[in-house]
Amino acid sequence: MKTPSARNVPALLQALHQEGFSGTVRVSGTPGGTIHLRDGLIGAIETPGAPTATSTLLASGRIDDDAWLAACAAEPDLDRLDLHLVATDLIGGAELEVVCTAAVFDGAFAMALSPPAGWELTEREPTLRTRPGVEPRPLAEETTRRMALLSRLWGPAGELARVRPEPVPGPENPEADGRPARLTRRHRELVESTNGRRTPRDIAFAGGRGLYAVMLDLIRLERRGAVRWENRTTPDGRPSTAPRVPSAQTAADEPLPRAGPLPRRRPGGGFPSGDLGARGG
Amino acid sequence: MGERATALQTSLDRLLESPGVTGVALIDAVTGLTYGVAGDAAQAGTGTEASELAALICERLGAAGAVGELESVVMTSTRRHQVLLSVDRSAGDPLLLAAGLDRDRANITLALRGLGDRAREVLA
Repeated sequence: MKTPSARNVPALLQALHQEGFSGTVRVSGTPGGTIHLRDGLIGAIETPGAPTATSTLLASGRIDDDAWLAACAAEPDLDRLDLHLVATDLIGGAELEVVCTAAVFDGAFAMALSPPAGWELTEREPTLRTRPGVEPRPLAEETTRRMALLSRLWGPAGELARVRPEPVPGPENPEADGRPARLTRRHRELVESTNGRRTPRDIAFAGGRGLYAVMLDLIRLERRGAVRWENRTTPDGRPSTAPRVPSAQTAADEPLPRAGPLPRRRPGGGFPSGDLGARGG
Repeated sequence: MGERATALQTSLDRLLESPGVTGVALIDAVTGLTYGVAGDAAQAGTGTEASELAALICERLGAAGAVGELESVVMTSTRRHQVLLSVDRSAGDPLLLAAGLDRDRANITLALRGLGDRAREVLA
């Protein structure tokens, strides 16, 4: 399939939007990902860097595994699976729309944490998607806003994606001294999901939450002294793609994250550094 | 985000039937992403500002020792009410329903109750 010349992924998506393209954009790189378009609108983004709508539905417990498998068996066309899920009352139409739309924006954010190596266009691939889809321009603008906000609040978003937060015993951590909780339930659950080994991505996958939402909450919790982490110690210039950890697993029996590839030396010395700008996605 | 009426859009459109409601928006309380708007978007307010305001209020209430979750925020000017309502959800990050109300046409007590009841139906 012909790949139109474009200076970056947002420009490519804008060009495909104007063409009314239906198909798939495969973006290589780390983490890279797959962008599904229908009639020029972005219906889904799948990337190892953030949970998809399917991951979110299952990990959060909105739909249990058995019901999901039964739904997939009853409606094998993934492009129509959303209609089946709603028709069988497994989830409300508006709730599913929220989940799928949030996953598109979160996937774009995750892919923007590192610059893409390249892209190619392929045929349409069925997938669970939001209808009718998201226009490329607001998606790019929101991704840029998210990157800028994290940079302003904390620093480079790509570095924040690699931190491994742990809870801080103290008044903000009710488990530590039994005082009344002053954190919201969402924040308490997030603190409890940190253990010094999980990255924000691991936590997002385990809880069925968005990567950006987890990172934003971690910044707030760090400011409140509820969590802490070693800052800016990883020479590698990309976000973690360590295997995700099931939510039911306890900290005690949790396996250590798999180590990433060794950094590559370049002629002239030094480590490669990633471009953390919001150019992709 | 498209021209076809979705389930979410239909739910939000129904909220405009409440007396005095001029605009509503469903917003992600954490990310500030706006999922849908009905009526006058400017009257509903922007998602990022609404979510940041709600987060700030939650943080300050927590720092002051308050226990529990934020349910609503009401801001009143000489001509308008601006309301943020937390939307119940079985799973996932909290959502906010932002609504702009005309003071001359809305009874804030009744409007809060009506919007609260209907907000629960948005994601049903």
